[in-house]
Amino acid sequence: MSNKHLSNYLVGAALGAVMAAGLSAGARAEDVYIPLVSKGFQHQFWQAVKLGAEQAAKAANVKITFEGPETEAMVDKQIDMLSAALAKKPQAIGFAALDSKAAIPLLKKADAGKIPVIAFDSGVDSDIPLTTCTTDNLAAAGLAADKMAGLIGDAGEVAVVVHDQTSRTGIDRRDGFLKQIKDKHPNIKIVSVQYGGGDQLKSTEITKSILQANPNIKGIFGANEGSAIGVLNGVKEMKKKIVVIGYDSGKQQKAAINSGEMAGAITQNPIGIGSCTVDAAVKALKGEKLPKVTDTGFYWYDKSNIGDAKIAAVLYD
Amino acid sequence: MSDPALVKDHKDGIAASGSGAVAALRRRLLGPAALQKLLAFASLVLLLIYFSFASPAFMQTDNMINILQATAVNGVLAIASTFVIITAGIDLSVGTLMTFCAVMAGVFLTYWELPMWTGIVAAILTGALSGALSGAVITKMKVPPFIATLGMMLVLKGLALVVSGSKPIYFSNTENFSMISQDSLLGVLVPDLPIPNAALILIVMAVLASIVLNRTALGRYTFAIGSNEEAVRLSGVNVDRWKIVIYGLGGAICGVAGLLLASRINSAQPALGQGYELDAIAAVVIGGTSLSGGTGTILGTIIGAFIMSVLTNGLRILSVAQEWQFVVTGIIIILAVYADMLRRKRG
Amino acid sequence: MSTPLISVHGLCKSFPGVRALHNVRFELLAGEVHAVMGENGAGKSTLMKILAGVYRKDSGDIVYDGVGVDFPSPREAQAAGIGIIHQELQLMNHLTVAQNIFIGREPRKAFGLLLDEDRLNRQAAELLGQLNLAIDPRTTVGGLTVAKQQMVEIAKALSFNSRVLIMDEPTAALNNREIAELFKMIRALKARGVGIVYISHKMDELKQISDRVTVLRDGEYVATVPTAETTIETIIGMMVGRSLSDARLVGAAPAGDIALEVRKLNCGPLVRDVSFTLRKGEILGFAGLMGAGRTEVARAIFGADAVPSGEIRVNNRQVTIRTPAHAVANGIGYLSEDRKRFGLATGMDVESNVVMSNLANYLAMKVMLRKRAIRDTAGRFIRMLNIRTPSASQEVRLLSGGNQQKIVIAKWLDRDCDILFFDEPTRGIDIGAKNEIYRLLRALADQGKAIVMISSELPEVIRMSDRIVVMCEGRITGELSPDEATQERIMQLATQRDTMEGRLTA
Repeated sequence: MSNKHLSNYLVGAALGAVMAAGLSAGARAEDVYIPLVSKGFQHQFWQAVKLGAEQAAKAANVKITFEGPETEAMVDKQIDMLSAALAKKPQAIGFAALDSKAAIPLLKKADAGKIPVIAFDSGVDSDIPLTTCTTDNLAAAGLAADKMAGLIGDAGEVAVVVHDQTSRTGIDRRDGFLKQIKDKHPNIKIVSVQYGGGDQLKSTEITKSILQANPNIKGIFGANEGSAIGVLNGVKEMKKKIVVIGYDSGKQQKAAINSGEMAGAITQNPIGIGSCTVDAAVKALKGEKLPKVTDTGFYWYDKSNIGDAKIAAVLYD
Repeated sequence: MSDPALVKDHKDGIAASGSGAVAALRRRLLGPAALQKLLAFASLVLLLIYFSFASPAFMQTDNMINILQATAVNGVLAIASTFVIITAGIDLSVGTLMTFCAVMAGVFLTYWELPMWTGIVAAILTGALSGALSGAVITKMKVPPFIATLGMMLVLKGLALVVSGSKPIYFSNTENFSMISQDSLLGVLVPDLPIPNAALILIVMAVLASIVLNRTALGRYTFAIGSNEEAVRLSGVNVDRWKIVIYGLGGAICGVAGLLLASRINSAQPALGQGYELDAIAAVVIGGTSLSGGTGTILGTIIGAFIMSVLTNGLRILSVAQEWQFVVTGIIIILAVYADMLRRKRG
Repeated sequence: MSTPLISVHGLCKSFPGVRALHNVRFELLAGEVHAVMGENGAGKSTLMKILAGVYRKDSGDIVYDGVGVDFPSPREAQAAGIGIIHQELQLMNHLTVAQNIFIGREPRKAFGLLLDEDRLNRQAAELLGQLNLAIDPRTTVGGLTVAKQQMVEIAKALSFNSRVLIMDEPTAALNNREIAELFKMIRALKARGVGIVYISHKMDELKQISDRVTVLRDGEYVATVPTAETTIETIIGMMVGRSLSDARLVGAAPAGDIALEVRKLNCGPLVRDVSFTLRKGEILGFAGLMGAGRTEVARAIFGADAVPSGEIRVNNRQVTIRTPAHAVANGIGYLSEDRKRFGLATGMDVESNVVMSNLANYLAMKVMLRKRAIRDTAGRFIRMLNIRTPSASQEVRLLSGGNQQKIVIAKWLDRDCDILFFDEPTRGIDIGAKNEIYRLLRALADQGKAIVMISSELPEVIRMSDRIVVMCEGRITGELSPDEATQERIMQLATQRDTMEGRLTA
């Protein structure tokens, strides 16, 4: 009999855990509330976006929440999150779409409910978002291509390790890099384009096999933080000396640039993306008109300028 | 929700013989399996009540529809997993098989421009064939289910990427495709009940699965194999063939899940799917099905799937930090199964 | 004599590395109970499995009902009317009785799509009724007693209209009352003309139930004899190839000091006011029917179940035992009746099992296994107990039951236990190995160990014990010296319910 009671207690305990978690984050209805549904939350990049959004929210005295699915493949989980966010009847909403089309029915619902939508990081195939706070990834990857060309003497073999082949950023950074090489640097040959899911370990293995297959390779571009660290580790493990160019920041990438193991990297402005999203939402609520796209900017940084105030401000650990 | 097969059984039992049937009814209602369902069902009700009080946004028609939508895919996958788990097997490939079927639906409808219903049937058949292939690897090559389906999980993930060219396939040629999941047939008939088709499909699947499990030879062998496979073999039953059929049925059900998912997001996302098998297994186990085989119910599984999605939705509505959502969900899964263990020990 | 139902000639079967059957003969008449005897490994099970279609023969003839047969699978054998009841029951515990009986042959309805559960239960009820079995076909098999489960297996075999029924050790897990019921059923089947092949180790059962006995030894045919005209000694002689003495194994020296004293032990319904003493160098027999509480007494003293009330004194010192670890710390060891479930890790090798419960003594720096020391210990016990194994690294599951039992004993000896409870130490062990175990127990007692031997085989208890305690329904109903102990006297005490007569006053 006691076991039966115990199982009842367990159900109670489980509910207790839910309640404790719930009470710690109860929302006050009278505040202006803006949920941000992102593409992820574990990655340092998204944590920096979150930080920027929180700073802007504090300044504007609004309340935000920030969440995203565990992997950037989980389109349906993101839709569930967006549904739940809309169910809370927010004043405005920020959304970084994993798939440019999948969420359109929900965005239409938001539009019908007069909830302003601000897109961030990547846009959607729709007019509903009032603006999109994003990096011009094509141009940024083009800049990486130019820097690569400069560092290897505008000739030789290079390879690209990309995080995935389905997301907008993956496609744009890959295409931006490839196009710039093709158009402006005809003596450079792209020997391999591989996808590592943004996973450091997988990207390391990919890099090692690229180096194995192409002993004369001069440089590799890693198209996001995980890919770039993976490339760096692969090159180190194979004891090669080649030019590595990364993307975004993070502690490891910054250290590698400082030590010279990585030639340099493109940084977006994740904090700026976060604050832009919240600021745009607040402006929309005040009825201000917004441009279709708000470029939040990107920079090339290497050993020489990593300490500059302007760069340091947009880098994250 | 009620399980019609179960209810019918009661009636049959009473009609058949007097006191024996009463005893059987009693066992059904008060026996360990029923108790587990009650326990799970009580947890679900408690969760609903708690979230309703904690946030006014929770118990709204819109949000209930959100929950139904969010449960549909995992619920259908969990039904597929229930069959396999009752045989004391496991299917790790349900998530990527679902994706593969969704991608194939995209190929059939968008690339080949087949009529919608033909494409749908073809996608479900794709699932059945893939599942049967897992079953054949398990029975004919004697590879343990864990490994066989782990292999299939990766094979299907890769094939989904290859077939789709690693990019989403949109159902642009099939305007009505999104209605499978998103529209509400019931809402047309009863305007106050705009329950999305996805939820109706889940319920229909659950009823059909329950009938198959409790009233057909396939279901009988599913339990029998999980209870004592060698005994079934020595009884002269072709165990290998039935296992292939069971895995094939699981695969077909994954195909339905794939269609629901694709219709929901109006696209086939080839990179999605891995990790979904664990959610499905969690729902099955919360619903009282034992991983060691021989016991389990569809009703339990559905309740398990709803517990998972109500929990996720409720925590989101309460704006609980995402990090803590994982912690709470994990604790609930462990406690649910622990409670089940205690009950078994006592019974 | 009428034409035989089955006749087998020159049957041979080999497995990789083992010649299981060589040139075996066998004959079964309709309406006959034909026992097949032999030590473990003599080939009884292989013969039965070939008859039932589980294995295929290599060569030889099997004539069934006048026709040569070679069943490719159990299915064909069953269809032809040969049913087998395996030693380890082959039932699906989660399914009901009716579902088990008709597995694979379920009546259907709705164009064969759905199962017709009503018809299924009706047919099962009919069948059970014919066999006079009071079992509800809707009961879940897992909830039945082993005896009832066995009846379900028999019903299942008979549902194929079997003319031959093969029973492999059917009484292994049954108590006397259940055995009587089983025999009643066997006799009824006999009267219906069913031929029954009966495998058992229990000699007294043979006398009761069988008409003829065929003896196998080392995969070869020895003889077929009519049971009534043959003594048990003759049969055993044929089985082991030599005759065995039935003489008592007496201790070399009189018993020494009191090693264990139990006073007024109570623990649940099967341990009631149990008091006894155990001296160094003696073997104390515990006799009684199954379910009399003997195992429960041992487990209570060993701390395996709920904490008992009462007093336990080890070497004249009162001890409190709450868990098996306490018991072991006090030098008490318990050798469970079910070696495979509780005693041995059968998939591991001999040496790992020997040192299993004493591993802490074989560690270097508390983590690394001292391989050499482990091997030395294992080697010592292999010599001392005469364990027949190719090496200390042989997997335990590949050894015979007798040798497995010796490994369990080695395990406890290595822990320096001076008080040892042996629960059915010779269950499932063939006759030759039994004698070896007997000598080993006596040798241990002579070394000063105090031994309790729980056994359901009365001849064994009488032969081995220095004193015999008899239990019934959780109470000790009497204590006998070897001179006054006869099977009749013990049975009398073992069935003496709730009286105060003959209570032990320790």
